[in-house]
Amino acid sequence: MLEVRNLRKIFFQHTPNEKVALDGVDLTLAEGDFVTVIGSNGAGKSTLLNVVAGEFRPEGGTVHIDGADVTKLPVHKVARWVGRVFQDPMAGTTPHGTIEQNLAMAFARGRTRGLRTGVTRAKREIFREELKALELDLENRLRTDVGLLSGGQRQALSLLMATFSQPKILLLDEHTAALDPARAALVTRLTDEAVARHGLTTLMVTHNMHQALAMGNRLIMMHEGRIIYELAGEQKQRATTDDLLHEFEKLKAVSDRTLLA
Amino acid sequence: MLSALDLGLIYGLMALGVYLTFRVLDFPDLTVDGSFTTGAAVTASLIIAGQSPWLATAAGAVAGAIAGLVTGMLHTKGKINPLLAGILTQIALYSINLRIMGRANLPLLRTDTLLSGLRDDRHLGTWVSVAVFAVVVLVFMLALDWFLNTDLGLALQATGDNERMIRAQGVSTDNTKILGLAVSNGLVGLAGGLIAQYQGFADIGMGIGLIVAGLASVIIGQAVIPGRRFIFATLAVVVGSVVYRIVIQLALQAGADPNDMKLISAILVIAALLLPRLGVFRHMRARRRERLIEAAAKGEAARA
Ligand SMILES: Nc1ncnc2c1ncn2[C@@H]1O[C@H](COP(=O)(O)OP(=O)(O)O)[C@@H](O)[C@H]1O
Ligand SMILES: [Mg+2]
Repeated sequence: MLEVRNLRKIFFQHTPNEKVALDGVDLTLAEGDFVTVIGSNGAGKSTLLNVVAGEFRPEGGTVHIDGADVTKLPVHKVARWVGRVFQDPMAGTTPHGTIEQNLAMAFARGRTRGLRTGVTRAKREIFREELKALELDLENRLRTDVGLLSGGQRQALSLLMATFSQPKILLLDEHTAALDPARAALVTRLTDEAVARHGLTTLMVTHNMHQALAMGNRLIMMHEGRIIYELAGEQKQRATTDDLLHEFEKLKAVSDRTLLA
Repeated sequence: MLSALDLGLIYGLMALGVYLTFRVLDFPDLTVDGSFTTGAAVTASLIIAGQSPWLATAAGAVAGAIAGLVTGMLHTKGKINPLLAGILTQIALYSINLRIMGRANLPLLRTDTLLSGLRDDRHLGTWVSVAVFAVVVLVFMLALDWFLNTDLGLALQATGDNERMIRAQGVSTDNTKILGLAVSNGLVGLAGGLIAQYQGFADIGMGIGLIVAGLASVIIGQAVIPGRRFIFATLAVVVGSVVYRIVIQLALQAGADPNDMKLISAILVIAALLLPRLGVFRHMRARRRERLIEAAAKGEAARA
């Protein structure tokens, strides 16, 4: 479903500030794969998701989604295949739009937008049903401005908007990191439910190792623009946070050695 | 006094255009000063050339829309800053408008215009003309409201609200900006053509400073009618335009020099922009927002 080949992203290329953010990343997600991504700050996790989504053009390598080469497509074209939730709860919705207007905009993802009414009675019924599943009582407040909702509510809504139109790929970038623990737990649960319900192929960045182990069927660890460790299936189920910490320690030892060398 | 209502309503079309760019798209478009005159110039020239006034008026609107399209292209494809893109188009239009008109002033007094009927029956500046213009503006206002609530219109609104989000939902914000600027300046061009027919001439300088009048209308309107729901946002703009023209009229009647009007308009807008930042008003707004959030949170609390 997603095929990333030898992906390289270099910021400020040919300047003294040159920064290799992705250094030859290879990654294949089969349909229905749910991959969690961990790694230290600056490892290139967000950059990987941004390149897949068309936010940045890579300096090398290719990205294919569902067989289509999307490497050079801009964000709004890649959006045909991709649903996203950002870390910032404010980023995924429009504050001056109502809940139902926001949902209508997401409902139209991947279709040509014309002069048909955005929020119709039929759509409103669909929205109400979808919102009920969130158990946030939002289904009774379809005409509330999204700007008046709490961060947790907005993130839950962003998640619904990214998933209910059933994208080929779901990209989540630390989408629970900015929430308090209770809200983070809620959005985590909603993520699991939405992915399971629609069978979404998912790539989820998280800083939380428990979350990375508990969710999904595969896990990758990134470091300095590369994927340096992978877990899948039973191996992943058996793994503990101690195992992951051990991997981090090994990295630290390596970089200490190179520093000394 | 009633002629101030007439003017306020016709200029209301222009104010709707300004609302669309400044408020909805969050794009400070200065094309307006030029595209208004372009609308007037095209309409007047075609009428004088013997074309039907309907066709001439429509052509004025289309010419305005093209001007908006150019500003939109300069900004999106040319990556030129919005203010500069608008100014460049506006300045270029000055020469173009002169070319269209052939000279600085085109009188329309003895030709057939859309308003000849009203003028001949001495209905201009009466409740009859006010009613006619009110209906015309209302039609365009409702059309704009309808448009803003279509899939495309929602995408356009989101472009001004959260560009990254709507792009992630598959919308080219370049296209929505260009579309918004075209529609906006189409309305402005239409207003220009109608004003030319109302006052009986097109003049190369008739658009100067109009952006300020448009902004003043939008700001005054939102002070008078603060709601944004349903049609209130656009209705506010039209009401703002009428109030603005009445204020100008009163100032003139009180003996103000017509040449000082631009200064007065500018001061009006500055005041409207600065007043809300004063402590009292800020406090009032903060309270209002708090109350709204409290009400919103109640729903959540009830569930927990
Ligand atoms: N837009 C950008 N411009 C310049 N450098 C960037 C940009 N985005 C990321 N980087 C750099 O690329 C590296 C990887 O960043 P990122 O992908 O955000 O890391 P992560 O999400 O794993 O913490 C960092 O060194 C960061 O400074
Ligand atoms: Mg990151």
